[in-house]
Amino acid sequence: MTTRLWNRFGPLAACLPLALLVTLAILIQLSASGLDQGLRALISVEPLTPDALMLHYSWWPRLTISLLAGGGLALAGVLMQQVLRNPLAAPTTLGVTNGANLALLATTLFTPALLAIGREWVALAGGGGAMGLVFALAWRRALAPVVVVLAGLVVNLYVGALSMVLLLFHQEELKGLLIWGAGSLAQNGWHDVAFLAPRLLISGLAAWLLLRPLALLELDDASARSLGVSLKHLRLAGLGLAVFVSGCVVSVVGVIGFIGLAAPNIVRLAGARSLGARLVWSTLLGALLLAGTDLLLQQYSQALPTLIPTGAMTAALGAPLLLWLIPRLRLSSGPPRVVSAFVHRHPAPGRLILWLGLALLLAALVALAFGQVERGWSISLDWQVLEWRTPRVLAAAASGVMLAVAGTLLQRLTANPMASPELLGISGGCAIALMAGIFLLPAPSNLALVGIGTLGALVTMALLIIINRRGGFLPERLLLTGVAFTSLFDAVRAIVLAGGDPRGQQVVAWLSGSTYYADLPTAIAVSVAALLLALAARPFVRWLDILPLGQATASALGIRVERARLALLGLVALLTAAATLVVGPLSFAGLLAPHMARLAGFHRARWHLLGAAIIGALLMVIADWLGRQWLFPNEIPAGLVASLIGGAYFMWGLRRL
Amino acid sequence: MPSRLRPSRRLTGLLYWLWLVTVPAAAEGGLVTLDWTLAETLVALDAPPRAVAQVDDYHTWVQAPPLPDTVIDLGLRSQPNLERLASLAPDRILISPMFANLAPRLQRIAPVDLLTLYTPGRDNWQEMLELTRRLGELANRPEAAERLIADTEARLETLRQRLPATPSPLLVVQFMDARHVRVFGGNGLFQAVLERLGVENAWQGNTNAWGFSLVPLERLVSIDARLVVVEPFPIGVEEQLADSGLWQYQPSVRDGSWVALPPVWSFGALPSAQRFAELIVTALTGGAA
Repeated sequence: MTTRLWNRFGPLAACLPLALLVTLAILIQLSASGLDQGLRALISVEPLTPDALMLHYSWWPRLTISLLAGGGLALAGVLMQQVLRNPLAAPTTLGVTNGANLALLATTLFTPALLAIGREWVALAGGGGAMGLVFALAWRRALAPVVVVLAGLVVNLYVGALSMVLLLFHQEELKGLLIWGAGSLAQNGWHDVAFLAPRLLISGLAAWLLLRPLALLELDDASARSLGVSLKHLRLAGLGLAVFVSGCVVSVVGVIGFIGLAAPNIVRLAGARSLGARLVWSTLLGALLLAGTDLLLQQYSQALPTLIPTGAMTAALGAPLLLWLIPRLRLSSGPPRVVSAFVHRHPAPGRLILWLGLALLLAALVALAFGQVERGWSISLDWQVLEWRTPRVLAAAASGVMLAVAGTLLQRLTANPMASPELLGISGGCAIALMAGIFLLPAPSNLALVGIGTLGALVTMALLIIINRRGGFLPERLLLTGVAFTSLFDAVRAIVLAGGDPRGQQVVAWLSGSTYYADLPTAIAVSVAALLLALAARPFVRWLDILPLGQATASALGIRVERARLALLGLVALLTAAATLVVGPLSFAGLLAPHMARLAGFHRARWHLLGAAIIGALLMVIADWLGRQWLFPNEIPAGLVASLIGGAYFMWGLRRL
Repeated sequence: MPSRLRPSRRLTGLLYWLWLVTVPAAAEGGLVTLDWTLAETLVALDAPPRAVAQVDDYHTWVQAPPLPDTVIDLGLRSQPNLERLASLAPDRILISPMFANLAPRLQRIAPVDLLTLYTPGRDNWQEMLELTRRLGELANRPEAAERLIADTEARLETLRQRLPATPSPLLVVQFMDARHVRVFGGNGLFQAVLERLGVENAWQGNTNAWGFSLVPLERLVSIDARLVVVEPFPIGVEEQLADSGLWQYQPSVRDGSWVALPPVWSFGALPSAQRFAELIVTALTGGAA
């Protein structure tokens, strides 16, 4: 009885206090210039006072747009999570927001004439294009949920890396878009509302029409198909609608994280079961969440010397909320979803390792000796030149090894193809600390920065362990914790960049993963650390072969699962922290190398680790060399080049599935 | 008559060519800098640096005084190309605190001088003069530094006399997009110049360490001052402003008194200060006439 009552009124209990809070904030802010005048300003600007102008052209449109955008994002989130059966799916995770962002950056730089047609259409095209790429990659597998999420992740990283390159070289031109990218809701008239409202209304209607068929997706594929539903078309329709909604929202107010992820999860947690209920309550909750955050921010923004964009703020406030939610989420620890279908075994892994090792040696030699100088290309083994190149090659190789090993451990540990050190949030924690260092200390030395970064990584690691310890280090929960940290990191970065501080360029340079800051002692220390830590992974190979089979199997085979996970997690944290300090948090070697090793046919844990380590090193060495030569004398960070090369290879591999 | 070279001969030829191009450039020494503000001052002292970071972007954002064509590009300001820098073997490398974390690395190539400007809490104008004198010493042109200072002070005084005795307060902004502006206030170039010209800055709010605050457009509505918009307008912003009720009702837009200035490097030193003063006085008096 009580549970049924809870099911019915649970979501209401979540929304009602928030609604009261929002109403209260509205009343307080309106009564600042007289409630009567405040309400009248909704309709007209007469009498023409600064207060009335502000209310009519800025305050009211802003409130309206925050309600619309929040609702729209939550709606898109529910649709995506329903279609993909994945609580982590959201407009941000599927590449839509990043695609829109890249389209706007590139258009601003290269074909500004297109912007005259309308920013929203450019953003919509970019978001749609990125999502289309995801669809194309996953099409052969009938848009299976795991493959779609994986493809979305890769496209996201790829597109994100491209935007970082543009940002690195054109920071001054793109400073306005950085504000948009951080999600500011500031308005200067009613035209954005006029753009968004009708589109959301139509989308809402379409979602209502799709309600019944989409509900069938809760069944597994076979049962749904037996009811005569075309899964492919149904998923396409559902996702297409979600993309349209999020594209419209993004084009108007920029990247607003977290709402699309959180609102549907909170509502589900509060007891909304059926798809209809979840749609309605999530939309309501999303609208209230965003409006509430924005009202709160407006209340206090006068006192701050810099603008805090609302989108970044929702992400920053959302992260702790997500951390609080994680132990309360009922996560399906269902059958492990290893993407093993596309793995072929290499007949002689030893020989393949040998070839890869030779390739690595050759690449390192080329990277050391061959390059551009003042007047063209040259081969040189002069110490004057090697002095600068050796540390970079060493650091690139070492960080590649560490990230690859960390990624392999994590992917086997969690049986989740999306796992990577970046997703665990340790890189993010380390990066937050470093950004604080760059901005708060007057003239930080590199040693000070290293110390601060390590501290950040350790704090994140401790939080990660504290939060997950009670739950026995469940893979899904672990990843979700990482998502929370990563979103906090994104928020801090967005706030830092949107403020337009000239030091932002330094942050961008470091964030994009360059070996630039490695000198010889550091590089040697990092190489030794990489070797030792990689060797430390060697005794764990038996666990790594067994753990992906699931908790029950592992326990039955005599492994104390919790202790094994804790040990491996500690190792991953160390590896990640060491690599992040050298090449920044965004080098995707940790995600790509283990996958490439798998695609190459390394199956057993021992070969998988070794193969991934060599591929990781190879990837980073080639990336570092290319990055140094491509736009000489300008340098593209190795992390970015690695994700560009690796991402292209990865998409090709995924297409073959 | 073309003869086919044997592969080994071709290889030798290639190696010889590579050896040729590796022979280092003969010229060495001189000053190099990563910072545009230091670069513009050096150019104004008629002692242009041998190499500067992001030369193309300097010409987009600082514009004047232009760098000579012989100036070598060092790559990104935050990550100058160390191999190229080492091969130039400069006498000194000049940096600002923004790049302090690079100092240990740069020191292995040449002695590094850290020159500060816009320290919060200090008189910016005095700091600018000190910076100019210090650069004059480093470039061995102390008399040029004094001349630049005297010229600038005299020019600003002349310009000040062209303005009315009690000019109306100004609000100096630069558009980031159609909804956000940087508004310039304390601890910045524009503020320092406005003070010398005897003009009141209407922005009394907070600013960051770089002398500006990023605010949404609505924050300007209640400030009664003449608007000065520093170009460039981001693409599409002018059209969007034409549609924007908030902009159209801005006091200074309604009475048509707002002015637009060509781009000025807002973090610059004396050359940018003089340029800003010229532009703003021309715009203000031209608009009044």
